[in-house]
Amino acid sequence: MEESSGSMRSSKQREEMKKVREKTARKRSKEEEEEQDQDQDQDQIFNFNNKPAEEEEEDEDLSDSEDSVYSGLEDSGSDSEDDEDEEEALDAAADDDEEEEKEEQAQRTEERRRKEGGVTDGKEEQKKDEYEHDSSDEEDIRNTVGNIPMEWYRDFPHIGYDLDGKKIYKPIRNKDELDDFLDKMENPDYWRTVHDKQTGSDIILSDDQVELVNRLQRGQFGDVNFNEYQPSVEFFSKDVMIHPVTNRPADKRSFIPSLIEKEKVSKLVHAIKMGWIKPRRVEDDSRGRYYDLWSTEDSSILAKHKMHLPAPKIPLPGHQESYNPPPEYLFTDEERALWEQQDPSDRKLPFVPVRFSSLRQVPAFPRFIHERFERCLDLYLCPRQRKMRVNVNPEDLIPKLPKPKDLQPFPTTQSLVYQGHSGLVRSISVSPSGQWLASGSDDGSVRFWEVRSSRCMKTVQVGGAVKSVAWNPNPSVCLLAVALDSVVLLLSPSLADRQVVSASERLLSGQDEVEPAEGAGPVTWGEAEGEELNQGIRLRIQHPKAVHQVVWHTKGDYLASVMPDHSSHLQVFIHQVSRRRSQNPFRRNKGLVQCVSFHPVRPYFFVATQRSVRIYNLVKQEMTKKLQANSKWISSMAVHPGGDHVICGSYDCRLSWFDLDLSTKPYKMLRHHKKAVRGVAYHRVYPLFASASDDGSVIICHGTVYNDLLQNPLIVPVKVLRGHVITHDLGVLDVTFHPTQPWIFSSGADATIRLFT
Amino acid sequence: MSQLQARFFTEDKRYVVDDVPFSIPAGSEVEDLSNVINKLLLAKNASHSKVDFDFLVRGQFLRTSLSFHMETEGISTEEVVEIEYVERVTAPEPEECMMHDDWISSVDAGWSYDKTVAGHTDVVKDVAWVKRDGLTSLLLTASLDQTILMWEWNSERNKVKARHCCRGHTGSVDTVATDPTGSKFCSGSWDKMLKIWSAVPTDEADEVEEPADRPRKKQKTQQLGLTRTPLMTLSGHNEAVSSVLWCDSEEVCSASWDHTIRVWDVETGGMKTTLTGSKVFNCISYSPLCRRLASGSTDRHIRLYDPRTKDGSLVLLSLTSHTGWVTAVKWAPSHEHQLVSGSLDNLVKLWDTRSCKAPLYDLAAHEDKVFCVDWTESGLMLSGGADNKLYTYRYSACQTDAGA
Repeated sequence: MEESSGSMRSSKQREEMKKVREKTARKRSKEEEEEQDQDQDQDQIFNFNNKPAEEEEEDEDLSDSEDSVYSGLEDSGSDSEDDEDEEEALDAAADDDEEEEKEEQAQRTEERRRKEGGVTDGKEEQKKDEYEHDSSDEEDIRNTVGNIPMEWYRDFPHIGYDLDGKKIYKPIRNKDELDDFLDKMENPDYWRTVHDKQTGSDIILSDDQVELVNRLQRGQFGDVNFNEYQPSVEFFSKDVMIHPVTNRPADKRSFIPSLIEKEKVSKLVHAIKMGWIKPRRVEDDSRGRYYDLWSTEDSSILAKHKMHLPAPKIPLPGHQESYNPPPEYLFTDEERALWEQQDPSDRKLPFVPVRFSSLRQVPAFPRFIHERFERCLDLYLCPRQRKMRVNVNPEDLIPKLPKPKDLQPFPTTQSLVYQGHSGLVRSISVSPSGQWLASGSDDGSVRFWEVRSSRCMKTVQVGGAVKSVAWNPNPSVCLLAVALDSVVLLLSPSLADRQVVSASERLLSGQDEVEPAEGAGPVTWGEAEGEELNQGIRLRIQHPKAVHQVVWHTKGDYLASVMPDHSSHLQVFIHQVSRRRSQNPFRRNKGLVQCVSFHPVRPYFFVATQRSVRIYNLVKQEMTKKLQANSKWISSMAVHPGGDHVICGSYDCRLSWFDLDLSTKPYKMLRHHKKAVRGVAYHRVYPLFASASDDGSVIICHGTVYNDLLQNPLIVPVKVLRGHVITHDLGVLDVTFHPTQPWIFSSGADATIRLFT
Repeated sequence: MSQLQARFFTEDKRYVVDDVPFSIPAGSEVEDLSNVINKLLLAKNASHSKVDFDFLVRGQFLRTSLSFHMETEGISTEEVVEIEYVERVTAPEPEECMMHDDWISSVDAGWSYDKTVAGHTDVVKDVAWVKRDGLTSLLLTASLDQTILMWEWNSERNKVKARHCCRGHTGSVDTVATDPTGSKFCSGSWDKMLKIWSAVPTDEADEVEEPADRPRKKQKTQQLGLTRTPLMTLSGHNEAVSSVLWCDSEEVCSASWDHTIRVWDVETGGMKTTLTGSKVFNCISYSPLCRRLASGSTDRHIRLYDPRTKDGSLVLLSLTSHTGWVTAVKWAPSHEHQLVSGSLDNLVKLWDTRSCKAPLYDLAAHEDKVFCVDWTESGLMLSGGADNKLYTYRYSACQTDAGA
């Protein structure tokens, strides 16, 4: 009951709404029929807007409807009114373009129907009652025959039985086709008359029902008022609403860990532990999903491909190549003469543009073979790849060396010139104290100079061109060894303290008793006599051949002399002065010996032959090292005071520095001289070395040797000293450093000795 | 041409001008300024004869134009410039040339490498007067034969007699210097030692332990005079001693090839100060007037030091004009700014410390290396060298200074 009343109520409300709406609609429809669509839209909006108002009305209607339902005071009249209204509302709300006339017509038919009256109305009332007691699944109560095919009653006058058991008679149906046709023609309601099989009667459908049928046929909802397109309220949007959608408190289970999940996880963990499940393996690409086809390809080939250059294209023909070129492209006489004069390679065009009136007259191209050949040549000679030329600033390749200014002190200027010799000065030597300088010259004299004043203190005529002089490095004796011809002389210049002089005299004279054993050797020792004795000559060591160099051991007792000879093994002698003994340390000829030197500390002996330097251990009597000089002809050699480095000058203008710890190859080659290097020298204290050359210059280099074995020597050329005059193509013949000061002496072919400080 | 405000003053009473600022052209040079002063003097004193002047701006000789000088010296041209003027020292003139037989190594009043005083067996390296009064004078010669001989010279008879032979050095004695009182002298040798000796001649020989096996030499030296042994030996140099001098009676200063100048206390024998240079020192000279030490070294510079500074090695001034080793320097005995130097480039130069860029005069008389220079108290400059010549130069400033 309540439900139905609810629905009634709502339908009533709707009707009232419709009334209001219809009024407005009517007004408008009279005025603006064409804009109905818009109106409808507006109506809808209106309708939507009016919702709250509608709800307000609801309450009022509620009381009204209650009255109407329960009082039952206004029965049919109110109903009919309602119907009328309802139909009007339906009409107005219909979407079709119903016109005014139709509407009127409908009203008329409705009225007629009402006049006709009774049956349908009664039925309707009945129906209402039936519905109250009935439900839809019960059988049709208008006819109690049940759910049987109605043709069973075809031959009977009745069609079934009503509730009281009386026969329901079929309407008198004597209509034939003609009646039907007439009816069709005359009855305006024919189209809406439906035959009810159940009762066998014809029913004229009301407008309402027709409308419903139409709607269903169109696939629309049966209820007119149902709005398929309700404005939706977005509950789940980004906007946070102040009220929750549901006010339901959160479940307890959302706060406590899920036991089920825990169980599942622990099962998985257990399975992983037991090794039943393997964790997902990272995909290994090393073996390779993809195969690098070119991985083994030679990189140079790839680079070639990368740097590929397309072959040059033939330039497109221009107007000149045309058979009928514009006249400005044709050669004038001068241009033609010039073209003919020019060398084919200088010509701007390889042909002369010629004009023909038509293509037919163009003769065969005589240079066709040439042109093809040139094109082939172009293709053949075109660059195949792009060569990357590295642009390196040559200055960047020069190693960073300290500035010479920071490597002071070293000799820079010529200070003193020692003049007096008349022949070229082959050899010079400084006394260990640094006070005296001895020089041997080709004029057959040995001169002694005071270093600080350049005064010649003594001249000893030895009677032969002096090849080499060497001052005994022992400061407690004062002796000079002089090599000339085949003799080595030992001089006592008596330019020192008396005790030193006497010590040197003792050294020379005190071994007469040991001497006799030495008579048979190739070397004879003899004492100087007479005039020679007055000059200071004490001993003569007669060699079998011409002696070129003498050199002292650091201790001052041993003296080595060199007699270069290709064919003999008698090239080097080592003399012991205190015992007047001489020996030849080498049994075999290993090449022309150029110069020899003693190691300053250890018992090593350096022998420089033409191409190499051999280092001999004098105690073990074996060769320890052989240095390859990479030069054609070694001229001179000097050993670093530390003993681990050797420099060699050669006649092919080179100076090579050997680091004995590094290798047997030169650590550094210096090619600063223009001509043959004649002499090299190390300074005893300062990190300096020098080389003298036939180009008249002395080059001073800074050569720091580090105690750290990992650090290579630092070699910086610091100064070129010039001063000597080149005479007979000979420049500087010997250099030697001052023992304590950063000064250098050089002797030259111009018969002078120069001191640079 | 801009003008400068200048005020002239002098200490020479004869040439005083009024103390008022003058406006002079900024580009004026010494000659112009000299003319200005001469005109002023002429206006003051009609009998004035023209004198050449030299000008000092803030203690520096004016050698260029005034504006350029002030620019380089950083003197403001806005203020009044104080210009001092002095009479220009005239060029020293070679007066005399004494020929010797051999190179002149040292001069104190003319001694030489040659063996005029026949006694030394080797070259004489240095000489020094001990006293010169009356007829007999005492002088010292240091020689390469490792001895110093003391001679007595009788000027009347022009005879020399060896009084003492000072033996003890083991290298050539390169330098000898007498102390201001004349009672001691000091010698420096190649054996790196300095030795102090007594300079008083006595008649007794000191006790010397002679090696028994050298009778010949002993006899020879004994013939030359009585043997004398050193009072004190000062050792500390690492290289040969090239020059010694006495700063006063207690202080000895020595220069050495080990690049140091050392000041020694004679009383205690200890070293007081060390001045370290970068090159070998050839010679030093000390001036009691300005208390500066001048050194000549192998790098052609003359350097001035203050020997009293404790840290040493501070070069006060560096005089550079020589092109060879500076072998001799000597301060003027009577002028606090002037010194003379000799060099291996054959030149003798006269310097004024107030004009350090260039010397006052170059004396190019020698034809070979100059080894020694000296001043005499009578106003002569002396120089000797390898050309065997001893030059004397007459020098006007000395006389005027002496007069003033």
